[in-house]
Amino acid sequence: MLNIKDLHVSIEGKKILNGLNLSINKGEVHALMGPNGSGKSTLSYFLSGKDGYEMERGSIDYNGKNLLDLEVDERANEGLFLAFQYPMEIPGVQTSFFLKTAINSKRKHHGLPEIDALEFAKLIKSQAQELDISPDMLRRDLNVNYSGGEKKKQEILQMSLLNPAMSILDETDSGLDIDALRIVSEGVNKLRNKDNSFLVITHYQRLLNYIKPDYVHIIADGKIVKSGDFSLALELEEKGYEEISKTA
Amino acid sequence: MIKDNILNDTSMENLSIHAKEILLEKNPFKNFKIENYRYAQLHKNIESQSDTVKSPLHKDLTKLTTDISHNTFANIDLKPTIDKWGFSNSDSFFRVSSLVHRTSISINLDNFKETSLFLNISNISKNITIQKKDPQLKTLVLLNYNCDDETPKSLIFNVAENANLEVVHYDVSNKKSFLYFEVKQSNYSNFNFASFQSNNTHIRNEFFSSLAEKCNFELSGLNFNNFGVNDNYSFIQHVKPSSSSREVFKSIVNNGAITNFQGKIYVDSIAQKTDGYQMSRSLLLDNISKANNKPELEIYADDVKCSHGSTVSKIDQEQIFYFNSRGISKEVANLLLQKAFIIETLDIIQTKDIKDFSIKLLDNLLT
Repeated sequence: MLNIKDLHVSIEGKKILNGLNLSINKGEVHALMGPNGSGKSTLSYFLSGKDGYEMERGSIDYNGKNLLDLEVDERANEGLFLAFQYPMEIPGVQTSFFLKTAINSKRKHHGLPEIDALEFAKLIKSQAQELDISPDMLRRDLNVNYSGGEKKKQEILQMSLLNPAMSILDETDSGLDIDALRIVSEGVNKLRNKDNSFLVITHYQRLLNYIKPDYVHIIADGKIVKSGDFSLALELEEKGYEEISKTA
Repeated sequence: MIKDNILNDTSMENLSIHAKEILLEKNPFKNFKIENYRYAQLHKNIESQSDTVKSPLHKDLTKLTTDISHNTFANIDLKPTIDKWGFSNSDSFFRVSSLVHRTSISINLDNFKETSLFLNISNISKNITIQKKDPQLKTLVLLNYNCDDETPKSLIFNVAENANLEVVHYDVSNKKSFLYFEVKQSNYSNFNFASFQSNNTHIRNEFFSSLAEKCNFELSGLNFNNFGVNDNYSFIQHVKPSSSSREVFKSIVNNGAITNFQGKIYVDSIAQKTDGYQMSRSLLLDNISKANNKPELEIYADDVKCSHGSTVSKIDQEQIFYFNSRGISKEVANLLLQKAFIIETLDIIQTKDIKDFSIKLLDNLLT
């Protein structure tokens, strides 16, 4: 699905990723944990194609394609999804209209006709209900005056509607209360199947109690210093980043 | 020069408060007129790009005319019925000398049974006075588009006590256009004015409004895809207590065009409890276009609520990235963000058909 080899990335001359290797296969859930400034968010933004990052070395293979050949919207339409840590507020654009436009962009990319209005209404209603998102919120402007929890739920709603093959969740648990964390995690778990993959970026092991990862990686100074299974997350919680990084 | 002409030609009696103020130089801001016209560049001839602009637009406007005049709305055709309304020969004051002593036509909207009326002002060179006395809301659609006549036009709205009037103005002019709107609102009246400006070469619109007691006045303007200079000036006078005015102007500037907005809220010393709001915002799409926004407040009362704001910005690339990351192309994202920026100005239109049409026209003309 996603194969990152020896990735070196810098921002304005400052090196952030320093020889990162990561391979994610179909149906797997990987967790990426690391201290502040270790390059977690840079990795997620770089994968989604954001401007301002310079790749010095390395390669990224996504489903047999060179990911770097694809524009941001092409990556999204090819099934790459980033759930933002801080989703943008878009005043003047109604949430449901945005969702419909996004769905239709993907359908167009795959040569499908636009989604039927009734079908869309049904789809959005059922998905929103599962995430405890009120119909009123869908009529409001996208992310404008949403609470932190509502914004994160909105990201997961977009994810479930677009049904991506490879999802990256960038600190989706930050700013969530316990109930919202449970709802969001259940939303993610429902989407899990043998054909899609997840990269869950988080500081805390708590999210991983809900979204059980197949692999846990620890990132420090722009590269993965240790990989393991779920027990690594538990070990990390106990010992802290510094000690784990040292033993790596 | 303009002032001299007026002093020679016009007796003071017929002048509006604002005009007298200018003529008697009571205005505390001595450089008022220089500022007022500073960016309008009215003396310049700006080449019209008529060939590139005309074709898609004409189609839309012809359709507009057809939609509005034949299907739903009554068409005020001035020519055959002009006797019926009669001429009002009283001189209308206008600060541009060419309009002084011009004959006026007076139209009483209450004489029509229809609630929405359409008036094509493109080829009218008379001063038009619109009367509205009845409380029943009427919507007047004004159309100003390419015509060979480049003389300034003036429209004066007399909104009587308790009367309700809405005006939606479409301004799509390849030629130089100068429109002067003056609104006189009596007590307890409501007046909404939406001005839709696009594909213009060189236009200036002036909005003068005078509010009596407990009136509401809403003025909104949008302009986008213009060439040359697009200029809006507004002067809203609260001369009696307890009125509210709300003004929103938004412009999207590209093609190296210049958009100007200058707007003043004036609150007389007796106009206590005035509620005034003004917002002007411009979106620049390239590095060669310009936006000059100048909000002004002039307040002599001490118990009022007045606020104003002004912004000039570019499209937020972080927002574009957010759209992109959901599979929506840059082009579509750009259009959606432009629409999102400007559509608020159409909110004040109360007549659903006309609002829907305006949104459709916006969709068609945004590129």
